[in-house]
Amino acid sequence: METDEVLVDRTLSGEIDCYGVLVQRHADYLFGLGMRFTAGNREFAEDISQQSFLRAYKYLKSFNPKKKFKQWLTGIAVNCYKDLSRKESQYLSLEVIDEPSYTPDLGGNTGFFELIKPLAEDERAIFTLRYVYEYRIDEIAETVGLKSGTVKSKISRALEKLR
Amino acid sequence: MNRLEAIIEKEKEVSYSQEDKDIFGSHILILIYQEQESKKFKIKLCLGLFLGMGIMSFSFSAINEVVNDFAVGLSNVMAGDFTTVAILSYGLSFVLLALLKKTDFIFN
Repeated sequence: METDEVLVDRTLSGEIDCYGVLVQRHADYLFGLGMRFTAGNREFAEDISQQSFLRAYKYLKSFNPKKKFKQWLTGIAVNCYKDLSRKESQYLSLEVIDEPSYTPDLGGNTGFFELIKPLAEDERAIFTLRYVYEYRIDEIAETVGLKSGTVKSKISRALEKLR
Repeated sequence: MNRLEAIIEKEKEVSYSQEDKDIFGSHILILIYQEQESKKFKIKLCLGLFLGMGIMSFSFSAINEVVNDFAVGLSNVMAGDFTTVAILSYGLSFVLLALLKKTDFIFN
């Protein structure tokens, strides 16, 4: 089985089908991330996954092969989640409606989804990466483009909210 | 904290899977192809417009020259005709007047 980095290299040399292999390989992972970030919103999670793959392809040339593709993809997914959430809130502020357009579809551990609901977008993402995916602080910092100190303070703020 | 840890531990055991992964993968590739084709089309359109504008401006300048030449020619022709017509008409009227006088002279 070819590594992600080899597939990226082949995609960049014009074999777009290799990107399809990468999509298939990481589809579950990105969908799971989306489900956890959005507290079980399937539709929103699918949008995050799709946008992340499209954005990753767009910026594939900027991928550093010395780093892990999955971690790079995670950073893109976090950014997509934030961007889509922002767009969604703008939409909601324009149209006064009682229900959100993204309806929650709790298809997993509802306890976890209820748990992270009080957290802000970036806190949700960082908390999930730290405790569910067991990323190290420096890895999260590198992934989301923040300083380690900022990541630590966001995690401690999130833990305070959850206590 | 134990409750928090228990929830997190339980969540780690949950696995999520993207429905219809094959279709999802194909959909992503189709979107990428579409994007690429749209980019190519935009580039072609820009090039076409640029070339079209160039050809149009060249054609307009050429047409303009022809029209200018024609207008100048026409005005020359018209100016020439006007003078000729004026000379001829004045000449003719003078001859007619002369003839009229001559007829008086003839008839008288």
